[in-house]
Amino acid sequence: MTTMSRRAFLRSSGVGVGLGLAGGCAPAMKGDFAPKRGPRVVVIGGGWGGATAAKYVRLGDPAIEVILLEPNKQFVSCPLSNLVLSGVRSIDSLTFGYRGLRSHGVRIIHEAATAIEPDTKRVRVGEGYLQYDRLIVSPGIEFQTEQIAGLAEAGDQVLHAWKAGPQTVELARRLQAMPDGGVFVLTIPPIAYRCPPGPYERTCQVAWYLKHNKPRSKLIVLDANQNIVSKTGLFRAAWRDYPNIDYRASSKVVKVDTGAREVTTEFGDRVKYDVVNVIPPQRAGTIAVQADLVGADKRWCQVDHVTYESVKHKAVHVIGDSTIGLPVPKSGTVANAMGKICANAVVHLIGGKQPPAMPPVNVCYSWVSDKEAMAVINAYRIEGGKVVQIEQKLTPGQSQAFGQNALGWARSIWNDILG
Amino acid sequence: MTNRGRTLVGLAGLALILAIAAPASTGPKDPGYAKAFSCSACHGWDGASRADTVPVLAGMPAWYLKKAIQDYASGKRPAAEMEPYAKMVLELGVDDVANYFARQPKPAPLAADPAAVERGRVAAAPCAVCHGTTGKGDPAKGVPDLTGQPAGYLRNQMLLFKADKRSPGEPTLSAVKALMKTIPDAQYADLAAYFASQR
Ligand SMILES: Cc1cc2nc3c(=O)[nH]c(=O)nc-3n(C[C@H](O)[C@H](O)[C@H](O)COP(=O)(O)OP(=O)(O)OC[C@H]3O[C@@H](n4cnc5c(N)ncnc54)[C@H](O)[C@@H]3O)c2cc1C
Ligand code: HEC
Ligand code: HEC
Repeated sequence: MTTMSRRAFLRSSGVGVGLGLAGGCAPAMKGDFAPKRGPRVVVIGGGWGGATAAKYVRLGDPAIEVILLEPNKQFVSCPLSNLVLSGVRSIDSLTFGYRGLRSHGVRIIHEAATAIEPDTKRVRVGEGYLQYDRLIVSPGIEFQTEQIAGLAEAGDQVLHAWKAGPQTVELARRLQAMPDGGVFVLTIPPIAYRCPPGPYERTCQVAWYLKHNKPRSKLIVLDANQNIVSKTGLFRAAWRDYPNIDYRASSKVVKVDTGAREVTTEFGDRVKYDVVNVIPPQRAGTIAVQADLVGADKRWCQVDHVTYESVKHKAVHVIGDSTIGLPVPKSGTVANAMGKICANAVVHLIGGKQPPAMPPVNVCYSWVSDKEAMAVINAYRIEGGKVVQIEQKLTPGQSQAFGQNALGWARSIWNDILG
Repeated sequence: MTNRGRTLVGLAGLALILAIAAPASTGPKDPGYAKAFSCSACHGWDGASRADTVPVLAGMPAWYLKKAIQDYASGKRPAAEMEPYAKMVLELGVDDVANYFARQPKPAPLAADPAAVERGRVAAAPCAVCHGTTGKGDPAKGVPDLTGQPAGYLRNQMLLFKADKRSPGEPTLSAVKALMKTIPDAQYADLAAYFASQR
């Protein structure tokens, strides 16, 4: 993903704000390159949390200027991207532009934020900076590549496909190219990571594909956790259709060797692969770490449960996967909910008003075959300023009807974020 | 005021609703605005669902939305995807949420096969006693408005009635359920297409 972001980074100049590189055909982005004239919110990251927040600040108060920093020109949905691996969906069907946000008056600059200066309320972008009244940070996750020996050196030979995009497409290609009888190894990091049921959904999709296309192949799942961490019973039931799954709990992978084509667990077990997919351990997006928004764990950001303001820096709000401490999963639904609630809080705070205490919601649909899905549903309340769960429910099993609702969810939420 | 991108039809529908029905939404100042945030994840932005199996909340009469929420929360109308949220909405204030959605403009119906719509229109005769000829419903009798709901959703609900899975055992619905059992399977999609296409 780094390479892709970098390319996008170098390409971008289409918004009239260049990069300030030597050569200077684009106007230099130096100093205060877009002076602030009224109240302004800057949003870092145009993914599930950030794009939602940018839109909803504009809906909440059109007098507030919103600048969104996002290096990628297109939004690629992680949800449903496991279905690209099984060939059920195309990546194009999960790729969207940012036109809708522009129509709400969000100003989008396709650059990465390089630093945050909370004391002067500035975001650095290359050699220039932007002034803000409130900053919303939603940079998603970054991989702790250093936790697995050999992973950094392996480069693109070992894929995560945990940020939807070119890696997703390439992993699908490798799966298709694998000979019948080949072994696909999927490794799952210890919690907390992005999308708790995601790796088990991926297990279903790869197994479904193998069952129908490479009946002699098997899928070995090496899970660092002691058991399936989400929708355990529902996944166990779904896997009865896939005898090709060899699931091994408490099997944390600590090493990958691309020469020998094998991974090693912390107990020294070596597992050979034909195609490997390592989902590495994760932490908050790099900018959140660099800006000292993470806690003592150096991984995740603690926030106020009503406003999402960082507990470490004033006027800086953090939403989405980068956060920790709320009893919610790192899901797109939650990031979207946080985006709306945080935007509303920011509008209130800029207007000098008390923000309402609004709880988020969660739903995670998981696809267990080409047509069937199941889901976990969570509702919350705010008690004494903290988010607490009211109830968690599971769908009674899997069905095509839930698959239809899962598509409905995707359609609705994509529109809520970008439409 | 919401300024979501709408088709001309949608805008015309909006003007009509403003003229005859609930007062205009005050947008972010509406007491239900933030309380309704979480619904858009599935029901679409401001409840204007474009998904075939997820119902439209925009323009839904407040009395019916409230009843549905109460039925989900109590478990009377079993639905895993709604029960937790129904409990949450009761805590947040169901009146505000219901009034908020009632004030939102109902989106234009999704495209439908005209032949299926016509077959459905003919087959809908037995529904008219309760739902009225175009499906507008009757609040006095507790009968909901079916118009403009996505066809997939309407069909699913009819199938749930037939199998007595929506409000199982509810005596006031036994006539509806008995009627559903008399309908040939092939007709469900036509009936759904007809009511979905009505404004
Ligand atoms: C395979 C898979 C399946 C999933 N399925 C589901 C599902 O079914 N349902 C569900 O609810 N969730 C699902 N998720 C989880 C969901 O994708 C995430 O929870 C969600 O994307 C989190 O939103 P976010 O805003 O925190 O991060 P993202 O959506 O990742 O957005 C972060 C954005 O920030 C940008 N960024 C990073 N650093 C900077 C910087 N310095 N300057 C500017 N921009 C920056 C990035 O380019 C990116 O666009 C899935 C995830 C995966 C991987
Ligand atoms: C996880 C997705 C999801 C979310 C989020 C969600 N709903 Fe629903 N809703 C559904 C589904 C699916 C149904 C159909 C359930 C059934 O079969 O009865 C439904 C049905 C309903 C109905 C019944 C409509 C009718 O015509 O009878 C109402 C009312 C409703 N939802 C209101 C809400 C409100 C209010 C919220 C926000 C607080 C909300 N929903 C959030 C998925 C969702
Ligand atoms: C005896 C009166 C009666 C008749 C006849 C009747 N209905 Fe209904 N219908 C109702 C009532 C009452 C409800 C609301 C049930 C509830 O509150 O849960 C309802 C609900 C529905 C719903 C669910 C709407 C929603 O938003 O969830 C559908 C779909 C429906 N009816 C279709 C039909 C069709 C099609 C026919 C004709 C074949 C029909 N009904 C005939 C009384 C009737």
